[in-house]
Amino acid sequence: MANIAAQRIKREFKEVIKSEEVAKCAIKLELLNDSYTELKGEIAGPPDTPYEGGNFVLEIRVPETYPFNPPKVRFITKIWHPNISSVTGAICLDILKDQWAAAMTLRTVLLSLQALLSAAEPDDPQDAVVARQYKENLEMFKLTAKHWTNVYAGGPFVNSDCDDKIKRLIDMGIEEHQARVALSSYNWVLERATEQLFS
Amino acid sequence: MASSSSTEHTVKDNAGDGAQNPETKEEDKKDDSMFECNICLDTARDAVVSMCGHLFCWPCLHQWLETRPNRQVCPVCKAAISKEKVVPLYGRGSSKQEDPREKVPPRPAGQRTEQEPGNSFSGFGFGDNTFHMSFGIGAFPFGFFTSTFNIGDQRPHAAPQGTQQHMEEQFLSKIFLWLAIVFLTWLLMA
Ligand SMILES: [Zn+2]
Ligand SMILES: [Zn+2]
Repeated sequence: MANIAAQRIKREFKEVIKSEEVAKCAIKLELLNDSYTELKGEIAGPPDTPYEGGNFVLEIRVPETYPFNPPKVRFITKIWHPNISSVTGAICLDILKDQWAAAMTLRTVLLSLQALLSAAEPDDPQDAVVARQYKENLEMFKLTAKHWTNVYAGGPFVNSDCDDKIKRLIDMGIEEHQARVALSSYNWVLERATEQLFS
Repeated sequence: MASSSSTEHTVKDNAGDGAQNPETKEEDKKDDSMFECNICLDTARDAVVSMCGHLFCWPCLHQWLETRPNRQVCPVCKAAISKEKVVPLYGRGSSKQEDPREKVPPRPAGQRTEQEPGNSFSGFGFGDNTFHMSFGIGAFPFGFFTSTFNIGDQRPHAAPQGTQQHMEEQFLSKIFLWLAIVFLTWLLMA
């Protein structure tokens, strides 16, 4: 059965590289091995979202039972989003689980993920901390997501306030990403982040 | 835009040396994609169509339904489907294709409704009603050809052996055969 998976990925791959989304640089697909089981996906952050201008890299693993079972996808680029783990990049999206249908393709998966960036579902979260911030303090969420997009995905919005606070923690001997996570989780209140880091 | 210019290109090429060019092939492929299985994306083999109109290979659809026994939905539109409610497509010369994949039970058979016996003449209905045919042209001198032909014919719709209708048919055919011989003899004598 591995044969049908490889055959299909081969066909899908040809279709994707000809698609208009690729022409518009909205999505990208790259093969990582000859057996068509590991691919690298890329999606552009959708406009009018905190992810705008960012480029998000995805790890795609094609199971032997594809397309009867969904591909395993996770974000390699760190991202601040209620439905994506800020730690592991694991994604909570129904079509990658029980709502998968065999006629879906890697192209539709990438487009669905792009749609997920535009429309988060905080009531079905993957990352509880992010989801809580999204529901309780939307502006703070947007600021944080923009900052992460800038730092990890090459987004254009630099937030010097965030950078300063991170620098303060780095000066205290905290690793940069750890500092960013702590500040992001505590709405960028330096005291609370410090308290959590040293407790 | 892209497609129209490519057609122009193809026409020009064909007018030239007639060499096989890749773009014509490309367009042929596009037409074929109408008949691609929605699961393996290859031309559908042992094709079946769901009630919602989506085309699949039977082995592909079967495996999909086996993979999710609790969620029997169309892989394209997610309409509720079931193994029993698919329509097989019988293309010309496609009946005996060996499938190298796993043993999959055969497709559900197509549903056939027999034509109503009353209106068999409307569609040039040879064979649907042997009795009428024989009777209609039996009086013609060479009608016995028709009659004899009908006796040995193994049509699916001929009345089964031993039934009342079968015996009547046999009887009538013999009468006409006999009449025709008499008629021919008379013609030869005259
Ligand atoms: Zn198929
Ligand atoms: Zn359907």
